[in-house]
Amino acid sequence: MEKRTILHMFDPMPHTSPFDINMAVDAGFDVVIPHNNVQLEEINGLVQDAIFSRGAAGVKRTGLFIGGRDLGLSLNMLEAARQAMVPPFQVSVLADPSGAFTTAAALVACVEKVLREKHQADLKGCRTIVFGGTGPVGIATGVIASLAGADVTLIDPFNIDTALNKANEYNQRCGTTLKGTYASSDADKARLLTTADIAFCTAKAGVQVLNASVLGDARQLKVAGDVNAVPPLGIEGIKLKHFGEPLVHAVNAPGATGIGALAVGNIKYKLQNALLGELLTIEQPIFLDFTAAFQRARNLV
Amino acid sequence: MEKPFILHMFTPEKNLSPFDVNMALDAGWISTIPYLNIELGEVNAMVQDAIFSRSLNGLKRTGLFIGGRDAKLAMDMLKTAQKSMIPPFEVSALADPSGAFTTAAAMVAIVEQALSAQFQTGLEGRQVLVLGGTGPVGQIAAVLAAQAGAKVRIIGRQLEKAQRIAELCNAEFGEGKTGVMGDADANKATLMLEADVVLATAAAGIEVLSAEGVAAAPRLKVAADVNAVPPSGIAGLDPMHKGNPIAGSQSGAIGFGALAIGNVKYQTQHRLLNRMHQQAGTNDKPEYLDYNEAFAVARDYLGVRH
Repeated sequence: MEKRTILHMFDPMPHTSPFDINMAVDAGFDVVIPHNNVQLEEINGLVQDAIFSRGAAGVKRTGLFIGGRDLGLSLNMLEAARQAMVPPFQVSVLADPSGAFTTAAALVACVEKVLREKHQADLKGCRTIVFGGTGPVGIATGVIASLAGADVTLIDPFNIDTALNKANEYNQRCGTTLKGTYASSDADKARLLTTADIAFCTAKAGVQVLNASVLGDARQLKVAGDVNAVPPLGIEGIKLKHFGEPLVHAVNAPGATGIGALAVGNIKYKLQNALLGELLTIEQPIFLDFTAAFQRARNLV
Repeated sequence: MEKPFILHMFTPEKNLSPFDVNMALDAGWISTIPYLNIELGEVNAMVQDAIFSRSLNGLKRTGLFIGGRDAKLAMDMLKTAQKSMIPPFEVSALADPSGAFTTAAAMVAIVEQALSAQFQTGLEGRQVLVLGGTGPVGQIAAVLAAQAGAKVRIIGRQLEKAQRIAELCNAEFGEGKTGVMGDADANKATLMLEADVVLATAAAGIEVLSAEGVAAAPRLKVAADVNAVPPSGIAGLDPMHKGNPIAGSQSGAIGFGALAIGNVKYQTQHRLLNRMHQQAGTNDKPEYLDYNEAFAVARDYLGVRH
């Protein structure tokens, strides 16, 4: 009998995300094993433990997933896993902490598509602001958009130092040109929105980032994307399934359009499903992070 | 292809009960995923994480189990889980901490059926003592008996604790409609003079009713004991007993032991776990299952009319 497919899910946090568990099972893994509270130094040992017990055919039916909430840690774990492989005993690895890589890749790919179709523009040079920009999805969104040529500012809801530190950290790590600032009031948000071409809303679920009055201050906004599916949604007046519909409250930015959380979620879902599937279908081991995610997301939209 | 059944199993403890994992797998769940050391404050985010990655049909094949050792915490988690759903993104959930909800439901349903079959009466108006009753099984058994109309006392070693637990039961589990009282072991002899039913829910290996106690209970009709480890919780009541007369009872009382209760508990838990995924393919709404549904299922299994 053919061996069952196994996904070992490593997470530095106390709990693996039930979202990722569902996704892994639905991508066809027969057995899904959470490994929680995993530290970076433990990755080498755990990976080698995983690759040496199934034989050369068995490792092709084994995958690794790296979760958590910290993008940097997750990328470090991905690299540690890559270095732990002992060919031909090697397996593919997907890092998607907080689902941030796939959510951000889907979000940026959706925005890029609407930008192209509705505004005949691309990301290059677009003034881009990321609300919730210091959380996992916000940082990944900023990194992906920046690598695609956008002029990106990460926005922390409270603290400018947090934003600057995150921007610096990821600029060094990923070769991006992120800036950082904060917006603690509607006035701050309105000021930042006035000169923005693109706004990403990646704040916490259930938090309305842009209300109608703030949206009224947009002047050159082309596309705003939201990943919050829990009411109130991140952008007032947007609908969950919007994919390029007008932003009704952006009255001073003619042609401004929105992308709702389910439209993004739909692509994210397909993307994560495809990436998890790739772990088992590729002959050579692959190590998938946000770059791979964005590449696939562009094809999906 | 139909999506596999996934049961997300939350526990505030550092381990899941292997009992519950076996039960879930045997009820047809394909993937049973443990989440350990879960805090109440984490439930909202965990639930919302679980409901947004499957289609509506997939969600009918997804469930949530809440374990642990604490009845109130499990109920708080169940209520939080229910509030966290964003219809139509919602899944069914079952709370059964320490198996206490299904065990208590089985115990009270068995007693009710025995009262009806052997004594032509019911729980309504009966005096029920829950001995060693301050733990989760005792708490829920007390509430279920009280909801069925019995006059229930939880008996513990310390009066104050027994009274505090009784208040907790009325406020948290009886929705303010039950009048469970607390009393101390020291008063047991007097209370046994009036008792119709004794439920023994103490820790394994503790005798909570002696042979003298059984002999001095003039109105005792039915006794049930969840303790499977010798010595029995009730003298003369064997774990295998299934309505057998209790040796030494002057009133002709019959007894039910841990295995008889365990069998009904097993059937009840199995049916509840099954019910959560049998909604697949139907238009049924998700259900939030606790001791109330467990009691209804146990009654149904025993053919108790109510």
